[in-house]
Amino acid sequence: MLKLYHWEPNANSGKPMLALAEKGVEYESHYLDLLQFDQHKPDYLRVNPDGTIPAMVHDGRVLTESTPIMEYIDETFDGPALRPTDPVERWRMRWWMRFFDSYFAPSLSMIGWSVFIGPAARQRDPKELESAIARIPLEARRVAWRKAIFNEFSPEELAESKRRVWFATDVLERHLLEHEWIAGQTYSLGDINGFNLGYALPLSQPEHCNDLRTPRIMSWLRRIYARPAAKQTWAMGRTQMVSRVKFLETAPSGREH
Amino acid sequence: MLELYHWEPNVHFLKPLIALAEKQVEFVSRWFDPLQFEQFGAGFPHSTESDLNLEGVGPVLVHDRDIISSSFFMLEYISEALPGPALLPEDSQIRYQARAWSQVLGASLGPVLSTLGCACHLAPLLRKRDSLQLQAEMARIEPRERRALWQAVVDGSHSESDLENLRRRLSPSVKRVEDALKRSAWLAGAAYSIADIDAFAMLDPLSELAPEVVNERATPRVNEFLHRMRDRAAVREALGRSRSGSPHTAFVPGAEGSRWG
Repeated sequence: MLKLYHWEPNANSGKPMLALAEKGVEYESHYLDLLQFDQHKPDYLRVNPDGTIPAMVHDGRVLTESTPIMEYIDETFDGPALRPTDPVERWRMRWWMRFFDSYFAPSLSMIGWSVFIGPAARQRDPKELESAIARIPLEARRVAWRKAIFNEFSPEELAESKRRVWFATDVLERHLLEHEWIAGQTYSLGDINGFNLGYALPLSQPEHCNDLRTPRIMSWLRRIYARPAAKQTWAMGRTQMVSRVKFLETAPSGREH
Repeated sequence: MLELYHWEPNVHFLKPLIALAEKQVEFVSRWFDPLQFEQFGAGFPHSTESDLNLEGVGPVLVHDRDIISSSFFMLEYISEALPGPALLPEDSQIRYQARAWSQVLGASLGPVLSTLGCACHLAPLLRKRDSLQLQAEMARIEPRERRALWQAVVDGSHSESDLENLRRRLSPSVKRVEDALKRSAWLAGAAYSIADIDAFAMLDPLSELAPEVVNERATPRVNEFLHRMRDRAAVREALGRSRSGSPHTAFVPGAEGSRWG
């Protein structure tokens, strides 16, 4: 029995969702609403005491780190290989996943939380929010949620995040000039990871990520979204946030947005 | 041809030295001194990935024409690409654990260890240097957030209470390792693996940098694990490559702490 506890097909939740779809593996989907703090409620804390999502339960064992979960999925289940066999390409896939996870994602999500998650959460009763924050098990996550919900990101922090997103976008564009896919010649977990991070870049950073300025990134995102597994996974989304992926169905534009 | 560009056997530089010794693979040791900024010198290997390595200045493995960087992924590369004893767990669940340990310890211990080590050992060295010359050398460090980490060391921006707070932040992760070692002698499953090499390289310097966190009474299993690791021939061989005789004092700014608070 395979169970996956996840939110939207976005960022960390979307990584195992897309990897499982690519492998053609069926699983029991448990949707947790991040904005209702489902991940910090007792039912889920019994599965993952850290209260982070996603979590995958297989053969009675609980796996909670999204990038290592993807490697586990590829190693454990039948279906098309999602990691290159060449050790150098495999190393490159891992290096880029770390770059996405540890450099690109924290800055991009700081911007995303300030415009999406924070305002949505602030619709709720402040006292209810305080007690929801108090239930978060990990101190670092409590700090992060508080900043997001109460809009405590300073203009300098947000400007620095934007600078890093643009810098990382340029690094990625240059990488895709030399490599068809993240690892090199084959589609891999690196692309799955990068797509979850960057599928909405053309809409969230339109002045920097578009057909004229970053044609390789745009082509790469469109190629991934053209895959049946990506369509199937993003169809599981329930919010407006993930519907931004539809932009990738548009034809390349000759003019800058 | 296999070449390893490395400095003193400490933290990230220590990991591939242990793994290559475990594998008994011959390699050319290319020593460089990051305090003299020799990583900017002629002939030093560069790639997008090695230049942007999120661990800061670290080991670089050159295998024929391929440039491998980032210490845990280098351990995985060594395990997968080179002959010798297996260093990767056989079972996929256990391999997951090894990767998860690396991710969790790298994020939670890495930045704190680097900040503590630099404040205690690197800052006094940099302050003795000619300020103008040092600034000129540091101007070459890219990207700019990495340069800022070096500047913070020079400025000595961490007070003693900051450092105490940092040491306090180590405790939850060290306790996780302690609890894991109650269940098994090695971190990922029943056999020695790259997870142990990775954890040892980060935990061993803490015996001196944060003795109130890592010590025989508070963390007996971690302590015993560190002793057991130090007794391995490969670890002795790797540590024996130290030129200073005190590899535990060799620190350069490494991974950045979380910007989320």
